Amino acid sequence: MALTGRTALIAALGALIAGLLPGWGGIAAVCLPLLAAIGYDLLRAAPVRTLHLSRPASVSVRLGERAEVDLTVTNLSGRPLTADLRDAWPPSGWQPGTQYAAARHHLSVPAGERRRVTTVLHPTRRGDHAAVRVTIRSHGPLGLAARQGSHRVPGTVRVLPPFSSRKHLPSKLARLRELDGRTSVMLRGEGTEFDSLRDYVPGDDVRSIDWRATARRSAVAVRTWRPERDRHLLLVLDTGRTAAGRVGDVPRLDAAMDASLLLTALAAHAGDRVDLLAFDRRTRAAVRGRTGKDVLPAVVQALAPLEPALIESDMTALATAARAGAPRRSLIVLFTTLETAPVEMGLLPVLPQLTQRHTVLVAAVGDPRVEEMRTARGTATAVYEAAAAAQHDEERRRTRARLTRLGVTVVEAPPADLPPAVADAYLSLKAAGKL
Amino acid sequence: MTATDTGADTGTSVSPDARRLWRRGRGLLIAAAALLITGLVLALLRSGDNGTLHPDSAAPLGSRAVNQLLTDHGIDITVAHTSEEVLAELDRLDRNDWPAATLLITHPENLAPERRDALRRETLRTGTRTVLAGAGPDTAAAFTPGIEVAPSAPTGELDPGCATDLTERAGSAQLGGHRYLLPPDTDRATAAAACYPFAGLPTLVTHHAGGPSETVLLGAPDLLYNANLDAYGNASLALQLLGAREHLIWYLPTAADAPGSGQDRSLTDLMAPGWRWAALQLAIAAALTAFWRGRRLGPVVTERLPVSVRAAETTEGRARLYHRNGARDRAAEALRSAARTRLAPRVGVAPAAAHSPEDLLHALAAHTHRAAADLHALLFGPAPADDPALVALADDLDALEASLTPDPKDPSQ
Repeated sequence: MALTGRTALIAALGALIAGLLPGWGGIAAVCLPLLAAIGYDLLRAAPVRTLHLSRPASVSVRLGERAEVDLTVTNLSGRPLTADLRDAWPPSGWQPGTQYAAARHHLSVPAGERRRVTTVLHPTRRGDHAAVRVTIRSHGPLGLAARQGSHRVPGTVRVLPPFSSRKHLPSKLARLRELDGRTSVMLRGEGTEFDSLRDYVPGDDVRSIDWRATARRSAVAVRTWRPERDRHLLLVLDTGRTAAGRVGDVPRLDAAMDASLLLTALAAHAGDRVDLLAFDRRTRAAVRGRTGKDVLPAVVQALAPLEPALIESDMTALATAARAGAPRRSLIVLFTTLETAPVEMGLLPVLPQLTQRHTVLVAAVGDPRVEEMRTARGTATAVYEAAAAAQHDEERRRTRARLTRLGVTVVEAPPADLPPAVADAYLSLKAAGKL
Repeated sequence: MTATDTGADTGTSVSPDARRLWRRGRGLLIAAAALLITGLVLALLRSGDNGTLHPDSAAPLGSRAVNQLLTDHGIDITVAHTSEEVLAELDRLDRNDWPAATLLITHPENLAPERRDALRRETLRTGTRTVLAGAGPDTAAAFTPGIEVAPSAPTGELDPGCATDLTERAGSAQLGGHRYLLPPDTDRATAAAACYPFAGLPTLVTHHAGGPSETVLLGAPDLLYNANLDAYGNASLALQLLGAREHLIWYLPTAADAPGSGQDRSLTDLMAPGWRWAALQLAIAAALTAFWRGRRLGPVVTERLPVSVRAAETTEGRARLYHRNGARDRAAEALRSAARTRLAPRVGVAPAAAHSPEDLLHALAAHTHRAAADLHALLFGPAPADDPALVALADDLDALEASLTPDPKDPSQ
């Protein structure tokens, strides 16, 4: 049960009566009618327990967008329901500061009817947000007292990764079309496949002129080359301890996800197959065998609830899982860190297992903060920071050199630049016919 | 699917119904009831303010034994807690022509002066015998003008030291405490007995104020305690002091009669009765307001948040470690090494040879027109002596790099 401000106000005004009628009689003259009115209100208020509440089981929304969650309230009792309703969700489901107003609704449902209330959420965090509970305060006709109760109405808002690198997709697709031979500029490289002959257009590489075909016909013919299709990509996300490190205000894992999405979209357009594996000590998420238009939504759904685990990744197990996920020659894109210790202890020993059959691309999130420290000057504190950053760079350089010696392509870029950098590396490998 | 979709009895409600509330709360209720009952029983057993000199208290400092003794001898005992009760009782007993009452005041020093005066007037009028247990200077001044109080004596067995019926029967008794100084012109009519002296000054004085009224000053109340009653002549003395008349008013002053309660009236006393009741009604309204504001629409929602670890933390930590330990040698070497790595490709030296003085310095000297010795000191010299020197070194390295044409291929990428 709950009371309203009206009850308190009436009780306060009753002080006048109590003052005019000193004694218990005056108090009783105020309190007993008030008590009776409260009792009447409670009796006449629509029951909360027998309300029927339902909502859709799941709603998906991209991070940064708003999610509308419907809640249907059916009043099965014979009394009209006038109620305040609070649809409680975890705090990160709302924009900070708006949760009080956004979660509360006022509704009236006549006897035997149903009404829908829509709660608008602005999730600030990726992942699955589960509804907590719905609390309803059913007011009586006098507005003095209310019945209150809670219902647990399950519902989930799945907040998908934002895919903010989507803006790079058009330019990368343009580069892909260049590779595809749809523009006049031709690229030649080992491993590309002969596609067809066409007429020479000024600007074409003269080395691609097919003299034999030219001799047979009157016009100069050019051989076109088509990059390989139906190649296989395996994106491996290391979700261990190092993925939790925040660069700016975003975990490394989220930057890796963004790059994964861009790469998936690009590879799907290029006609390659994409699989995904998220791993630390066990498989956290996997996407296998999706093709064409299915693959991007599948990857998005798989990545949405992923959170970094605060444990050291088992690189040996990760390599085993990656080999199992890539039965034929593949491009394995490994999103991990370039920190010296984890790489030397974990990654370097297992990389040869992967490089002997596959092409391996290691992508790591660089930290702009280190860049900032490197150029710090002026005070002793700043110079020590610069020295530490130089030390950090030196270690990174050595780690990259070691990886490169194993035939691994290494990409390291700040979070915003990582997706295009990884996409470029993929396109370069594709152009070079290394897939 | 959820239970809500079945349409029948809704299974989504999580508010407890009456049965569940009772089941959950009954343990607590039983515990509360047990606590309440225990408290009441204890309060009943140990009623009165810690029971000292209380006629119903069986504690060592209580006086149930005296009470029992007097009752056995047919004395009618009335317990009073306020001076109004005492005055009313004295008034009632005054209907008899014969002064029939003894008034025992257990803590006379706790009385407000005007209460003492009122009691004094009433006892004089009715001829009551007043026994003051532990009468201090204020009491003595009010009830027995002229008698002064001397410094206290320890309580213990004292000999009578005077010859009266009272002392002959009782013999030695446990007395002490306040000692009384009688005025030199005291005659036998006003001070009937001054007994149980300690170092020459009596601790029990019987003062006749004329008529049947008399006042007994007791230096200490110890002889009335349960624990002491069977020692020496205590029981006999107590019986004679309190049992000489058929009615005994046992007055245990409470806070209402204490000094200050008369003059400093509380806030509620100052208000007109109407205001008092209105204030009570406002208090009820305040309680209702508290309930209105305090009842939340559902619980506070909590959430497990991911840990926040800054990726650059190890590097920043290393910088602070260098600083705290003054590791200028390591810091300088890191800066120089980074500078050499960047400089080497710009002056046409292979990265592998970047850290060998001969190759690098030669090429650098050619490009910058600076003396090789200077460059050696800058790029391969000793560690700076202090922090300002380190800052200067960093600036010098920057200046050297800036003096060269920038390399289109950034070596750091």
